[in-house]
Amino acid sequence: MRRSRFTSRSLRRPGLNRPSIFLGCIVLVFVCLFPFVWMSLSSIKVLNELYTIPPQWWPEHPTLANYHKVLFESRIPRYFLNSIIISVAATGLALVLAVFAANGFARFRFRGRSFWQACILVGQLLPTAAIIVPLFITLRVLGLVNTYWGLILVYMIITLPLSVWMLTSYFKAIPLELEEAAIIDGASRVGILFRITLPLSLPGIVAVLVYAFITTWNEFIFALCFATDSRVKTLPIGLAEFSTEFNTDWGAVMAASMVMTVPIALLFLVFQRHFVGGLTAGASKG
Amino acid sequence: MKSLKLAGFFALSVLSTVTMNTGAQAGDVVWWAPNWGEERARTLAQKYMAANPGTNIKIEVTVANGLPERVLTALRSGAAPDIIEVQHGWVNGYAQGDLIVPLDDTIQDKEDYVKAAIDYVSWNGKIWAMPYRIETHGVIYNKDHFKEAGLDPEKPPKTWDDLIAAAKALTKSGRYGFGITGGGEVGNTIFRSLPFIWMNGGDIISPDMKKAVLNSPEAVKAVEFYTNFYKQGLAPKSTLENDGLALRRLFIASTVSAYQSGQFDLPAIQKENPNIKLGAMMIPAPAGKKTAAVLGGWSYVIPKSAKNPVESKKFLQFLNTTENQGYYTDTFPARTSSIKLPRFDDSMLKPFAEMLPYGRPVPVHKNWVKIVQAYFDGIQRILLGDQSVQKSMDEANEEIQALLN
Amino acid sequence: MKSNTGLVFALPALIVLFMLIAYPVFYTGWLSVTNDQGQFTGLQNFSAVLRPRVTTQALWNTLWWVAGSIFFQVLLGVTAAILLNQNFMGRALVRSIALIPWVIPGIVAATTWAWMFHTEFGIINYMLTSTGALDEPVGWLTRSNTVMPAMIAINVWKLFPFVAIMVLAGLQTIPQELYEAARMDGASYWEEVRHVMLPQIRPVITAVTLLLVIWALNAITIIYAITRGGPANRTVITPIQIFRLAFENVEFNQAAALSVMFFAVVMLIVLAYIKAFASQPGEVQ
Repeated sequence: MRRSRFTSRSLRRPGLNRPSIFLGCIVLVFVCLFPFVWMSLSSIKVLNELYTIPPQWWPEHPTLANYHKVLFESRIPRYFLNSIIISVAATGLALVLAVFAANGFARFRFRGRSFWQACILVGQLLPTAAIIVPLFITLRVLGLVNTYWGLILVYMIITLPLSVWMLTSYFKAIPLELEEAAIIDGASRVGILFRITLPLSLPGIVAVLVYAFITTWNEFIFALCFATDSRVKTLPIGLAEFSTEFNTDWGAVMAASMVMTVPIALLFLVFQRHFVGGLTAGASKG
Repeated sequence: MKSLKLAGFFALSVLSTVTMNTGAQAGDVVWWAPNWGEERARTLAQKYMAANPGTNIKIEVTVANGLPERVLTALRSGAAPDIIEVQHGWVNGYAQGDLIVPLDDTIQDKEDYVKAAIDYVSWNGKIWAMPYRIETHGVIYNKDHFKEAGLDPEKPPKTWDDLIAAAKALTKSGRYGFGITGGGEVGNTIFRSLPFIWMNGGDIISPDMKKAVLNSPEAVKAVEFYTNFYKQGLAPKSTLENDGLALRRLFIASTVSAYQSGQFDLPAIQKENPNIKLGAMMIPAPAGKKTAAVLGGWSYVIPKSAKNPVESKKFLQFLNTTENQGYYTDTFPARTSSIKLPRFDDSMLKPFAEMLPYGRPVPVHKNWVKIVQAYFDGIQRILLGDQSVQKSMDEANEEIQALLN
Repeated sequence: MKSNTGLVFALPALIVLFMLIAYPVFYTGWLSVTNDQGQFTGLQNFSAVLRPRVTTQALWNTLWWVAGSIFFQVLLGVTAAILLNQNFMGRALVRSIALIPWVIPGIVAATTWAWMFHTEFGIINYMLTSTGALDEPVGWLTRSNTVMPAMIAINVWKLFPFVAIMVLAGLQTIPQELYEAARMDGASYWEEVRHVMLPQIRPVITAVTLLLVIWALNAITIIYAITRGGPANRTVITPIQIFRLAFENVEFNQAAALSVMFFAVVMLIVLAYIKAFASQPGEVQ
């Protein structure tokens, strides 16, 4: 019995059986999509079908007017561009800084390491309400209010600490033997970082990238205070602009939310094959 | 992949410095105008710039979401625009925090303004803002529902007892007679329940602002009147999660037959459900007593750190001529001469206009926000069923008294 | 080998953060011991903020909020990660779908859920009553015993994809030999999960859990947008109280005092965490 089991299976990983996978996926998809479906259906409803009693799923008169308003009659396209620029730049900058810092924390033992690690997390721990006024003063003094750079820098506070923290744990998971082999071969620390550590932790890098991008993409309160000019405003502010004092154009908000959400999900769909990484069977042999 | 990323990153940083916003120049007036009045703001700005070449009015559009936080942050950090539109109730906090400049020298025809509006923005003997818009609540109701319940839609209830009777008659077949708020922002419930306390001769704090009087019999009776709509099933089950906007939606869905709101709801209702025959009435008062309402609305302030106060003051005077004020406001103007403009001569607006003289400003105490929070928590405790009205108001009163010392 | 090389690697990040954070930290500390005229008041702000009933209530609510959120976020996230680690057709699509709750802007997710939970307008009550699962609509957000669980549920829904993605990344880096070794010992799938996968992703789970604690302690969007801390302070958590103090009550000094206390507590948790899990393999001497 034993012999047949491992001779037939040693070449591929066993997993859950098909029905379990199927069931699991159904549940996962339902849980994740249920509100999203409600949102997307709302985005094609006319105003008087949005808040009916009893509520109804499917619109009687589906319309694309909300999308038309969002894409052609609002400032959303411009805000989309701003959000892309700011999020990409903030993510890039955070990644660069985090890769180096995580390497330092994961691979070296130096005095006060725990202290510095805790210091990095400090930024994430301060309540927004406490830091927003002094940050505003800082930006004003530096002349960075209403600029891309102002927001990009401020976003370091919400992306860098977590990125360093997460990358440190991904780097730690890579076996030491690989690096020691490279040192014996005469590689430098930086060389090891770029040629061994990074490629092997690619899923972790992608995960951190996703995290940083999504966080800056959806950030509201800093953008609200530090970007008051349409040329720099981001998408979350654009969403808020569909609400006037006593009214919220829900159809437009839902349509704009779709515009904000779907591209990210599609982007992830394209990039998620980079998620499959790690050590291939041959790497540790020899 | 990495070098591509790096290259892209540098390209973007170059791009961003090139397109960096250079900000306003001297001689500019930066005006934070809310998005619901944006079009009219731009029209007025154009007019002014045509008559005053050399001055550039730069409009930056604000949104309701997060506005008080954003304004306060800007004021405290010294990076504020020249003119900001704020609600009357916020002005005193700014004045006491030394964040704005007094506008006694800017306001023209002071006697033309509704006195309550001027009082609202006065502190320490000076006027700190120019009110341009005032409004109060009334009661909006569904005339068809009234007919079906056997009530006369043209003779809406005038006293508390009439209102309760009408609500009872209207509550049937899945409908609720009179909707109240119990959730959302605190202001929603203050605007709706505080007038009842005032009408009955009570208040939350004494006029000299030294004593909390919320648990007096008059106040307790009014709070009981308000919360009973929910307790007796005359207001929707969702009351604790409803704010004014939710009530309006319930009204549009014909689930609520009457509720308190301002005239700003009328166009929205007509747009979303043109089939409803709308009626508006003044807020009912206890028998033999006069009605009351909380005065709401908006003013212009000039921050202390404004870069161009001289030009801004001139512009404010332009914005607040009888005609311009009447044009810009969403509800009613603060000048009595402006109310006479043809725009406000609408039969649906009549009950709201009639409520205006009964509008009162809320007290100007530096802990007012905490005071109403304690009061609102008390109301929610009653609606949750945690405490009786008297006990809840006693507890709230204790908290409020601590805030007055 | 210089013993400070690690510090040199970490320096750029530390410098950037220091430049941004130093002033706010100092400013907050200064505000917490002065009054609004700038005069030194010692610990007065601290006692003023600890006095009201709501502070203790907020602390208890925060405890429930954090514990409840994290437990389910980690549980569901790890389960989802294990599922998504499988090889099946359409896996890429399911992974992207799993990301969606996290990607939806916080304020939109909050208001959509509030809409779905609404007693009268909500689709949840509608579906439960029309299929007969419930006799009467439930006031999810209006009853004291359901409102906090509802908030926690929304928070779990929003963030378990984050856990799933992070853990999935960790699962992807497990070397093949470990699986082969387990299989040679005749392990079943579940034994594989327990003995191969979970230990390998332990560093990721601990890091993620700490992050979730920090986020839960700082996240006000969901609760503030839906209930504002109500009804009757049933859902008010300490960060919301700080926000209220600062922006609604314009009591920046008290808000700063509360922030300082809050920050101290969280720092202690973080330091304890780091020290406890500091002894990990994979370090250079």
